[in-house]
Amino acid sequence: MEIKVKYRGKEKTLFFEKDKVKASDILKALGLSSEHAFVAKNGEIASEDDLITQEDSVKVVNAISGG
Amino acid sequence: MEKLKKGSRCTICKAKGEKGKAVVFLPHHRLALCKNHYIQWFEKRIEKTIKEFRMFSKRDRILVAVSGGKDSLALWNVLIKNGYEADGFYIDLGIDQYSKDSKELSVQFSKKIGRSLHIISLKDEIAPIPVINKSTKKPACSACGAVKRYYMNSYAKKLGYRIIATGHNLDDEVALLFGNTLHWDVKYLRKQYPVLKEEGGFIRKVKPLCKITEKESAMYAFFNGIEYIEYECPFSEGASSIEYKEILSKIEEKHPGTKLQFYTNFLKNMHPIIKEYYEKEETQIKECRICGEPSFNEICAVCRLKNSVERETVQN
Repeated sequence: MEIKVKYRGKEKTLFFEKDKVKASDILKALGLSSEHAFVAKNGEIASEDDLITQEDSVKVVNAISGG
Repeated sequence: MEKLKKGSRCTICKAKGEKGKAVVFLPHHRLALCKNHYIQWFEKRIEKTIKEFRMFSKRDRILVAVSGGKDSLALWNVLIKNGYEADGFYIDLGIDQYSKDSKELSVQFSKKIGRSLHIISLKDEIAPIPVINKSTKKPACSACGAVKRYYMNSYAKKLGYRIIATGHNLDDEVALLFGNTLHWDVKYLRKQYPVLKEEGGFIRKVKPLCKITEKESAMYAFFNGIEYIEYECPFSEGASSIEYKEILSKIEEKHPGTKLQFYTNFLKNMHPIIKEYYEKEETQIKECRICGEPSFNEICAVCRLKNSVERETVQN
């Protein structure tokens, strides 16, 4: 399954081999930990086991910043 | 890490006999909260921190160091909501698109909350960061930090503010503490406190987000529709602070509360000892021979940077 996500101001397409994709799978695919990142599904923060479909508008927020 | 279970109810709503659905789980506080109670919790926690460290009062004029990032904008939002007199200060660092975008977001936000945003440009003061970076051997982040501290302090005084508030969060403070401890950099550890008192030409600096994690700050910005710069400064790539944050977040995942404890126990148990020891060896604050601003050396860091940039310009 292919899911489009907005991440750090850009659109990214993620590919999954399974049909049921959870918010935690999206974080994993981007190499992020739920300790410092979260997924927003249709404008609301998704819990880690929330299912994400191709129809959802998905944004990933990574809170870690440096400098 | 413990997670938010599907269908969980908000801890506070539940106590009030209401049915609010939890959207946030804070393992280190053992709290599951709905959107409204999360916003309230966040704003109260900052208020409590301001009072705990006696940072400032409602009579003070505060200048918030605004970068266009989530932390400084969230902080500014909370201060205004909590009834403080707070304006913004933005330094255009001249880092290509990154500076253009972060400046635009800062200006937009200041208009949204109806407060003044003072803007200065590093190009007019010395040179943009990419030019400074070429003319010194120092890492970009270190030169950038020095110019930010210098101009924040001198402009706050000129503009009549008594306090500078920065958006440093718990993760920033813990990463710094971790780095300083790895190097046993006792002189830096001594300065690591949420309040740096005014002395010898330096005005008071405070960190009201020091007990707020980066994720908590990002969630607050998200819930309040605060638009901030989401991508990293191109110069911060590979910064050791990011590596430290990733290591510490792995520990936190297994042992929730470690970061907060590491930091608060340092403030409570270790900082007083270091402070007392070093008070005997108080370093004298001088006036820079060139610009007259406070400095720990004969010539301040910014005047030294200016000299390097001028030398580089003459050579080329």
